[in-house]
Amino acid sequence: MADKIKLFVNGVEVEVEAGKNLIDAVGAVGIEIPHLCYHPALGADGNCRMCLVGIEDGRPPLVPACKTPAQEGMKVLLDAEHIKKIQHDVMEFELINHPTDCPVCDQAGECKLQDYYMSYDHAKSRMNVPQVVKGKKMDFGAGVVHDQERCVVCGRCVRFCRQITKTGELGIINRTDDARVNIFPGRPLANRYAINVVDLCPVGAMTSKDFRFKQRVWFLKKAPGICHGCSKGCNITIDHNREKYKDDIIYRFRPRLNEQVNGYFMCDEGRLSYKKENEGRLTEARLGTKVRPIDDVLAACSKEMEQAAKIAILLSPNCSLEQMVTVQALAEKIGAALSGYSEGYIKTGDGDDYLIQDDKSANRAGLNLLGIDSSKEGFEKAVQEASLLLNFNNDLTLSYQENELTKLLKDTKIVAVAAAANQCTAMADMAIPVASFSEYAGTLINCDNILQHFAKAITKNEDLADICTIAARLGSPLQNDNERYSVLQKCISALKEFGVDQIPAEGLNLKKSEAANVTA
Amino acid sequence: MEVKILSANFDTKDAHKIKVAKKHGAYSTLDKLFSMKPEDVTDLVKNSGLRGRGGAGFPAGVKWSFLPKNTGKPVYLTVNSDESEPATFKDRYILVKDPHMMIEGIIICSYAIGCHDAYIYIRGEYTTQVKALQAAIDEAYAAGYLGAKVAGHDFKLDVTVHRGAGAYVCGEETALLESIEGKKGQPRSKPPFPAVAGLYGCPTIINNVQTIASLPFILKNGADAYKVHGTEKSPGTHLFGISGHVEKPGMYELPLGLPLLEVIDKMAGGVWKGRKLKGVIPGGSSTPVLLPEEAKTVTLDYESMAAHKTMFGSGGIVVLDETVDMVKLVKNLIDFYHHESCGQCTPCREGLGWMLKIVKKILASDGTIDDVNLLRELCDNIEMKTVCVLSAACTMPVRSYLDKFRHEFEAYVATNDSLAAEAK
Amino acid sequence: MSDRSQLISTGKPFQFDKERDAEFERLIKRYPTRESMILPALWLIQEQEGWISQEAMAYAADRIGTFASKVYEAATFYTMYNLHPMGKNHICVCRTLSCWLRGKQEIVDYLKNEIGIQPGQISDDGKFSLEEVECLGHCGSAPVVQVNGEFHENMDVDKLKSLLATLK
Repeated sequence: MADKIKLFVNGVEVEVEAGKNLIDAVGAVGIEIPHLCYHPALGADGNCRMCLVGIEDGRPPLVPACKTPAQEGMKVLLDAEHIKKIQHDVMEFELINHPTDCPVCDQAGECKLQDYYMSYDHAKSRMNVPQVVKGKKMDFGAGVVHDQERCVVCGRCVRFCRQITKTGELGIINRTDDARVNIFPGRPLANRYAINVVDLCPVGAMTSKDFRFKQRVWFLKKAPGICHGCSKGCNITIDHNREKYKDDIIYRFRPRLNEQVNGYFMCDEGRLSYKKENEGRLTEARLGTKVRPIDDVLAACSKEMEQAAKIAILLSPNCSLEQMVTVQALAEKIGAALSGYSEGYIKTGDGDDYLIQDDKSANRAGLNLLGIDSSKEGFEKAVQEASLLLNFNNDLTLSYQENELTKLLKDTKIVAVAAAANQCTAMADMAIPVASFSEYAGTLINCDNILQHFAKAITKNEDLADICTIAARLGSPLQNDNERYSVLQKCISALKEFGVDQIPAEGLNLKKSEAANVTA
Repeated sequence: MEVKILSANFDTKDAHKIKVAKKHGAYSTLDKLFSMKPEDVTDLVKNSGLRGRGGAGFPAGVKWSFLPKNTGKPVYLTVNSDESEPATFKDRYILVKDPHMMIEGIIICSYAIGCHDAYIYIRGEYTTQVKALQAAIDEAYAAGYLGAKVAGHDFKLDVTVHRGAGAYVCGEETALLESIEGKKGQPRSKPPFPAVAGLYGCPTIINNVQTIASLPFILKNGADAYKVHGTEKSPGTHLFGISGHVEKPGMYELPLGLPLLEVIDKMAGGVWKGRKLKGVIPGGSSTPVLLPEEAKTVTLDYESMAAHKTMFGSGGIVVLDETVDMVKLVKNLIDFYHHESCGQCTPCREGLGWMLKIVKKILASDGTIDDVNLLRELCDNIEMKTVCVLSAACTMPVRSYLDKFRHEFEAYVATNDSLAAEAK
Repeated sequence: MSDRSQLISTGKPFQFDKERDAEFERLIKRYPTRESMILPALWLIQEQEGWISQEAMAYAADRIGTFASKVYEAATFYTMYNLHPMGKNHICVCRTLSCWLRGKQEIVDYLKNEIGIQPGQISDDGKFSLEEVECLGHCGSAPVVQVNGEFHENMDVDKLKSLLATLK
């Protein structure tokens, strides 16, 4: 635990963490110091002047909270009249050259300027001279569109590109009230994290080409989730909405703070992977070429399983631990060979030294921990010996060329239990649609051995069963969540002390927990 | 009235050339310097009471003593030759007429603070001056006063001229450091102060040209010889610039403490064209204006200026005659500071532009009394809410004109009112 | 200040000539970081070409090994960097306090009339460009005019007439 110190805010004693600046220290105990340019991931810049606070008996008596370390006994003034006046005055300056067309601004509803206007200014404009004119709708590349007039020149986006991605595409050019963010001509945003500047922008100056004007943010429901785009497991907020007479649709993923996984950010590819949750889904159960009720297909599948001399089962490395143990139990029960072969999910060299991993699967560590064989030889041997392959959502087209796959599976009946419609489901003899990761709850282990649990975020009009349920209906002895979790607790000693609802929000670092002893 | 310490050789032909300069004593203090302990040099400067001549008037020796010891990092000296405060043109004389005096000062300061790489930051507008300065530095290198062994002593010192490119704010010492580092001249938040973390994050002393150029005299003649001139709290001489509506504008080296009006009359020939005095700006355009009756009692030193609610500043005196339209003057001032705002802090970035537009509106006889009041209020709302004092350099004087010459603003508003009445 | 963000592309790659190249290499040794060369490099470009094009800015960034955005920031922040070609004779008139008090407007008006351009413009024949600039530090000899970097002090219309006659 960090050291605690005591200081006073508006005369009231509060205990805060030592070693932080005033914004973070008192923010952690629920006292907001307004700020636009400061961001914990980017450090203090001190340009917006919105966080000026009084320090009683201080020298100087007025300090930017972002640049001032919390100190024992400090007497911070936030609600003094002279401080409230500064907040009001700074807001007035922020707004004089800012368009006042919130109703047509994409940021409305999640705009700091709008919020602060309501909290700290709330006065009629005294601006009766012409505003400074700047650029509109500038394409900065990488899916980022910039509105210079809305910019408050806080420089968060510039600092992000210099400090985090170290690509430095953005700069604040000119000076005085002509200062504005821009790219150097011909050198647009070209980094794989660029859209984070949209989240970082406290106002509506940075917008995502993908999201802008698609949805008013106050209609969006927010659910926490984990990105399945790679083995990093970045924490996300899933913004979704069910419009009248329509289905629940995801409009965007946004990074959600997790200090030990992704910090404040995520990559653009992961961010845009929400589209796969909405589109290209396998929605109907199919027997041969005919669409059938899912119960019929499951019955047919069970029959095939009874008749088959030898069965191979393939798991996706994206499956949750719960799904893996359920399928694993099924395989054991029916004596099927179980494989997690998924070489194609690994794009060697694609990862970087920040968040993006080579491994584009969310739970390979889970496969390994459960002792599920992932070798190519193992999988091919199993398939060759089997007359039936149950494929639980593994996209084999990533690992094989189409002709290779056809050759490999030519004598095998295939049951595809899948969330997405693709070549694999097309070539299957039976197809069973299942929920994708935004539609079920589960547990994953990321590339750094951090175990994270996520809840079900989306409920579709016609909710699909997830792999656990399908495997259970096909005979897995693990029939419910409690049974599944008990198995996980046996496999992962660190889980013993936690119920499924008690897994810490920031995840469990299995490396740190004494023994993640593999019992498989 | 004049006391020629810094300007002793300004009228000497070719004093900028090392040969001539040496004849007049340039570099003659170096043997003495290297026989002293560096801390003794600092003490000597402290004792002389020499105050920073850039505008703030902070005691130079005290500043040096803020340097942390044994940090393992290099110590830098940067000489502030940005001289960009309107009405200030004193350092330029040193750079052109007696540059070796300043180079000698750089050696003295560098030795005292343990600096081996000094940078002279010169404003970009000084096109011919930068050439003259570089020529003098080249001469000093050739004569062995700079380089691996300064004057044969075991002390390495390189001096590099870094040219600004048109930014008033770079006269602010941390903006100047940013500029040397290749960035926009945007002042840094303090703390940390440059003495602790300055240029390239290393301990750094920033002194004005005139401050540095005063060092050879002090080292040669002792602290007391320097203190003979000026007042007890503001010892020494200063290169005063007198401009505006006087008969003989120019640069005059005077001891501190002389009566302002006497200096204007005796040195600069008084208000030009036999006109009446309307006001005096005592220390560069950022200092609050003095009315004639206030000017009568003020003397040219830090304390008297403070007592008159204005500032000694850079010693750039501007005389305003009875014909000056103070509203137009305010527009000229705001225009300048708005143009020079670095664009970093919200109140200055947005506020100065707003002030400019308001004063233009008033000048166009389009303003109301609310606009005058708003202009006055904005001075308070902007001032001291920013990282540096550029905004205050605008609002302090503007406030003084609004308070002391409010009737002139009201007169413009009245024209608006009468126009409005006519229109009805 | 006006917006300086619009850069002009020459469509041709830029590089230092031999002399500037050598000066660049001499200066870079004087600084502990390469980024300190941003201002000096921009000066060298301006010395060589008279102005700084988009290509030249990109060249400076790549040569120094820094982001083009940083060079762009500096080039647009510091107003003495010319971001477009100037007249053969570039005339700067100081417009700040002391020069304003001592009649800079007469100087500007005369020049506007004589050359037929407004401040910020270049004459059609490319012979002159005119700019009103902030304080040039010659307040004691106001009003002051700077032509191609040379100062002309205590200016009045008569002096300006004879000065203009010497400019080709």
